[in-house]
Amino acid sequence: MPSITNSSSKKRKVVKSTGAPSSKRRAVAEEDVFSETLSKVQQLEEQIAESRKYYNNIATLLSMLNVDNSAKKPELAVAVSLCRVFSRLMAAGNLSESSRDAENEKLVVAWLKERCSEYQNALLSIIREADSTSQVTALTLSMRLVKETVSHIEGANSSVWSGLFRNIIEALVEARDGEEVRGEFLTKFVKEYEDIRFHTFAQIAEYAGTRRKADIMEILISLLSACDEAPGSDHQIDVESFFAVADPNNKRLRTVHGHKRRAQDAWLAILRNNLSQAQRKALLRIMVHTIEPWFTRPELLMDFLTDSYNEGGATSLLALSGLFYLIQEKNLDYPQFYAKLYSLLDADLLHSKHRSRFFRLLNTFLASTHLPATLVASFIKRLSRLALNAPPSAIVVIVPFMYNLFKSHPTCTFMMHREIRDKDFAADIEKEGYEDPFDPLEADPTRTNAIESSIWEIESLQSHYHPNVAAIAKIISEQFTKQAYNLEDFLDHTYQGMVQGELGTGEKPLRKTPVVEYQIPKRIFTDRLLQEDGGLDSGAGCFMRGLWDFS
Amino acid sequence: MPPSQLKQLKASLRETGVLGRQQSKKQKRQNAKSGVGAQNRNQRNAALQAIRDRFNPFEIRPTATRSKFETTTRDDAKSTKATGRRPGVTKSLGEERRRATLLQEMNSRNKVGGLVDRRFGENDPTMTPEERAAERFARESQRKMRKESMFNLEEDEEEFQLTHMGQSLTLDGTAVDDFDGGDLGGAESDDDEAPRKRKRVGEDDGDDEDFIDFGEDGEAQPERKKSKAEVMKEVIAKSKFHKAERQQAKEDDDDLREELDKELPDLFAALRGIKAPAKPEPPKQDLDTMNPERAAMLREPEGKDSEKEYDQRLKQLTFDKRSKPTDRTKTEEEKIEEEAQRLKKLEEDRQRRMRGEQLSDEEEEQESDKDSFFQGEEDEESEVDDAAAFGLHTQSYEPRPELAVEDEDDFVIDDDLVETRSNVSLSVDESDMEEKEVSGEEDGEESEEEDELINGMTLPTAGSATASTAVQVNQTADGKLAFTYPCPENHEEFLEIIENVSGQDLPTVIQRIRALHHPRLHPDNKAKLGRFAEILVEHVAYMANELAEPSFSIIENILRHVHSLAKTHPINVAMAFRARLREISEDRPLSLLPGDLVVLTGVSTVFPTSDHFHSVTTPAHLCLARFLGQCSLNGVSDFVTGAFASSLCLQYQSVAKRYMPEFINFTLNALCNLAPLDMPAKHLAFPLRKAHQSVKLAPIKKVMSRKLQFRDVKTVPSDAQAQEDLKFSLITLYVSLLDTASDLWADMSAFIEIFTPVHSVLTHIRQCFKNKLFAAGRDHVQATIDKIDSHLAQSRLARRPLLLHNHRPLAIKSAIPKFEENFNPDKHYDPDRERAENNRLKAEYKREKKGAMRELRKDASFIAREKLREKKERDAEYEKKYKRLIAEIQSEEGRAANEYEREKRGRAGKR
Repeated sequence: MPSITNSSSKKRKVVKSTGAPSSKRRAVAEEDVFSETLSKVQQLEEQIAESRKYYNNIATLLSMLNVDNSAKKPELAVAVSLCRVFSRLMAAGNLSESSRDAENEKLVVAWLKERCSEYQNALLSIIREADSTSQVTALTLSMRLVKETVSHIEGANSSVWSGLFRNIIEALVEARDGEEVRGEFLTKFVKEYEDIRFHTFAQIAEYAGTRRKADIMEILISLLSACDEAPGSDHQIDVESFFAVADPNNKRLRTVHGHKRRAQDAWLAILRNNLSQAQRKALLRIMVHTIEPWFTRPELLMDFLTDSYNEGGATSLLALSGLFYLIQEKNLDYPQFYAKLYSLLDADLLHSKHRSRFFRLLNTFLASTHLPATLVASFIKRLSRLALNAPPSAIVVIVPFMYNLFKSHPTCTFMMHREIRDKDFAADIEKEGYEDPFDPLEADPTRTNAIESSIWEIESLQSHYHPNVAAIAKIISEQFTKQAYNLEDFLDHTYQGMVQGELGTGEKPLRKTPVVEYQIPKRIFTDRLLQEDGGLDSGAGCFMRGLWDFS
Repeated sequence: MPPSQLKQLKASLRETGVLGRQQSKKQKRQNAKSGVGAQNRNQRNAALQAIRDRFNPFEIRPTATRSKFETTTRDDAKSTKATGRRPGVTKSLGEERRRATLLQEMNSRNKVGGLVDRRFGENDPTMTPEERAAERFARESQRKMRKESMFNLEEDEEEFQLTHMGQSLTLDGTAVDDFDGGDLGGAESDDDEAPRKRKRVGEDDGDDEDFIDFGEDGEAQPERKKSKAEVMKEVIAKSKFHKAERQQAKEDDDDLREELDKELPDLFAALRGIKAPAKPEPPKQDLDTMNPERAAMLREPEGKDSEKEYDQRLKQLTFDKRSKPTDRTKTEEEKIEEEAQRLKKLEEDRQRRMRGEQLSDEEEEQESDKDSFFQGEEDEESEVDDAAAFGLHTQSYEPRPELAVEDEDDFVIDDDLVETRSNVSLSVDESDMEEKEVSGEEDGEESEEEDELINGMTLPTAGSATASTAVQVNQTADGKLAFTYPCPENHEEFLEIIENVSGQDLPTVIQRIRALHHPRLHPDNKAKLGRFAEILVEHVAYMANELAEPSFSIIENILRHVHSLAKTHPINVAMAFRARLREISEDRPLSLLPGDLVVLTGVSTVFPTSDHFHSVTTPAHLCLARFLGQCSLNGVSDFVTGAFASSLCLQYQSVAKRYMPEFINFTLNALCNLAPLDMPAKHLAFPLRKAHQSVKLAPIKKVMSRKLQFRDVKTVPSDAQAQEDLKFSLITLYVSLLDTASDLWADMSAFIEIFTPVHSVLTHIRQCFKNKLFAAGRDHVQATIDKIDSHLAQSRLARRPLLLHNHRPLAIKSAIPKFEENFNPDKHYDPDRERAENNRLKAEYKREKKGAMRELRKDASFIAREKLREKKERDAEYEKKYKRLIAEIQSEEGRAANEYEREKRGRAGKR
């Protein structure tokens, strides 16, 4: 581990020399102090290696570690040398007691163990509290300790994982400003070594078993979601590449199933914990891609998903994809799925940022040609109602979507073209107008009578203020020659994009000379020359002048 | 064994009836009379030909490809046609042709000149010499008879006729040997229609003694008996006389012309319509004193002269552009009608654009495109050179203070600079002329339009007003305001310029800048003014943003300036507005500044907001809609800004009546937020957004509605009462906006769906206003509800099921393969036209090449053969000569030998 020492000490030097603009002499002095401690530490370390009589030096070193009341500024060189000391001791078997040992030997071992745990605690507190460089170093050191313990002290396998490692995880989760150290942990250990991942899952599952605060949950979720993606079923767990020597008794560690199981437990523990609304949404968002692959029994997610789906609003939208996954893959029978889906089409839907996501799913749900036409018609009608209050970016999705629906459900095309054959009825309509048979309040999409209605809304949108939107709305009144519109092309439009599309980014010359209003108005804001017109303001812009007082 | 060839021939001849019984003489005669003979002859020829073919099997060669089995794809025509070709015939034809062309060429090689005999029938071997002569004579006499028109004077002069020994060859004359005459006349008989050729022939033969041209004098005809010398003498004498006469006449003409020249200015004056001064009587020529002959001559040429002049004038007139009637001065009514027509056309254009149709006059568009292109160039140019030349320009235009007129009307300046139609013609000075040339026609057109508009709309008084006010202004204008300003390059410069100018004088400054940089004055000014227009747009936003109390009369004035500049610089102004919009959309799409609102208002006045697509108004729409759809609702001020934006929406849509979902959403949201009580939580059709702080109208005090002011956008009153008043006025404003919107969109098919939620919200407001503190707004809300109710009822009555697909049903796609009638495997059915054409050309080229090569080869062999033949001929000739000489010598020798023998014998005998 000398490399780490070097780098850290170098870093410190750099920090000192640049951070504190001190006089030359003082810098020299500090340098001297530093090198002094360094040589002292080295000396102490060498002494320990030399003979057992210098074991007391461990205590000295521990005291030099400077973590007694707060671990803000630990002496990393000391920590590193201590790590070396303990590793050597473990390798020499000095930390494992055997029954044959004499009493005083046992005393020494016990004392050493005590010091070791003291050292471990010191490291953990460094992880919890120190700055990020120290945190990372401490993490590396403690993981080294874990490795040494497992490999050199027999029978300590499970105790280390449930003891020291668990503490490390806890410390990591609770670490202050711990993003960096957690990231380090993920990249250096969890993603490298499958056994570490395995144990991490186990520890997180245990940790999340009890109720935790929201920010802790946040950290846990991020930790878990950042874990590697789930291994495929044909994946072989490579024991050789493990971080520490594997416990031969632990069969789970060697199978993919066992790993998945741990992950599943961890996720379930988190899902069962108290989640804030935002976290729930975040989880739902990563559900299909990150969480579900880990699950050996995805049906365990059912409760969470149905709960979320029933919640309504954006959460429901997000739960949809997970639920659909279950319905599709796991044969989940969700009664009233379409009714629920229909109820999701509310006024906020088209303004929500999950709109495109929802439409992608809706496209899949309604893709089946075996759906009843009444149901499809209800969706069409509801969507067209909503389009009346929708932003242009939503309208441009809805209309092609409808087109596709009309194309696959030709029965619904009566909504665009309905000739009344019945003479009496026609006369009736002529006299009293056509009453819209659609019932917007009906919750069941098969009973709304939408198929008897017409989509006047879209026809009205043909005179939308934005020319492109109006043009898109016009496709329903032209011949349906196109097979289908690729919905993906319409999904991700925004106001910003549309404005930019119109204005361009730079000063590009216009293709066409813009037409200018031919008449220069006599007045824009004021009552200029009003008497000439006989005091009656009727020119262009009189509407604004009538409502507003510009003075 | 078949019979012998001879027998077969005889048999077949007999069979076809060529050889038959001898006809009696009587029969023959009969046949000849009835024409049966000729028919028989034809028949017999055909039969003979057939027999010849049959008996000469090598004459006909079968086609190279042997006949194949009958297949369906082989086209019948080809298979039946393929009887074979006749190599002998083609060969002899080719040989013949070569002999006619190639051999000729070969023979005439290395030879220069030659005679071409073009006499009629000379090369026709079928004609007997008698026939030829008769035909030639007939043609000659025909040509003489057919004199095309009696007025063809040319003919007379050129006419020549066949003569013999100085005597004309006429039928009525003595007997003529037509043989000799025929030779001469036949030359042109070949091409007797062209007199030109005839003349040439005549010239060629001019030196022929026999051929005398009497063209000059027609009267030579009766005096045919005169000798040639006499005639010539006469001619010379006559021409001398004429020459003298002409000289005399010319002198007189000169005198007369001088006199006439003196009078010419008067004539012009008369033509121009100015009353000419009384013409001085031309000095009377005392003809009496002259000798009568000369007088007569003088008089005659005078007549001739006038004729000549008349001719000249006539020619001039024919070449002159046909004079057109000028536009007569129009009456008042006509002017009004024209104006109305123009407005109507513009309105129709606007309607078309509103429907999104292309303008019919595409050329105009193209032209304008071109304009913009040029303008861009100019811009660049001005940027390059302006820095140096800028100060100079302002200096040079200093002494024109009369331009800087101050008047209550800002556009008077334009009138002064842009000539109206009445004074455009005469008072154009040179610089203006140049300018006009430089700036091109489009400018003239545009400015004329602008000028016309200014005349019609804003300034009824024309130049007279300018003149009168100019004096006035010069006296009243305070000395502080400079008369000349540089044209600013950017907004900072403009701000520097107007730093010391009070707000009220700003329009004057702008006006002066525009006047000083009128495009007529310098070619660069167009670009400069374009830049200036952009700056003005920027300044409008600046004024509304930066100044605490922007004066709207000034902003209005500037906007109107911008509008009038937009007519000449549409690109610049549009780009400036687009730049503002871009800034809005990038920096603050959801929190519009007052300046942005003013700019958006400006857009609504400068550009037609009703257009289906417009490069400025469409983004402006989007900006407004985006603001309404997504803006944050923090406090009352947001609702004020929103109210202004909503009003603008309706203003934008006042003509086109297009639907804006964001408007409805925002307005209803605002009403729900401002209403004293919460809306009952039920299914709302629009997404409800709650304001971050409550802006509910507090039912504490009595509130009064007032007209909202623009400055409310900037500052919200801190006073609680005033704030409540503001909220109340806002509600009233929103209600009246909905009122207007219901009028606008009453014809929409989904009116019911759009306005049912509106109705419910308004009902809620009415409910809230039951409180007597809000009594002031009650009637207004009720009126609006009533209006919407009536619209709803009407729309229910008008509702019909949609009938969008009345167009012809789509044809079911057929899967029948495209079938080619008369398919020909040799033909290429290439769907790619170009490739097919290419292949066709290639094949043709190959074929032609092959043909040409074959021809060349045959030519070569022909030439070789001919040469060989010639050589052989030459050799034979030589041989013959040689033999003859040998024989001669031998015979001589023989004779000598004989003589010798004789001598010898004689001597021997003597001995």
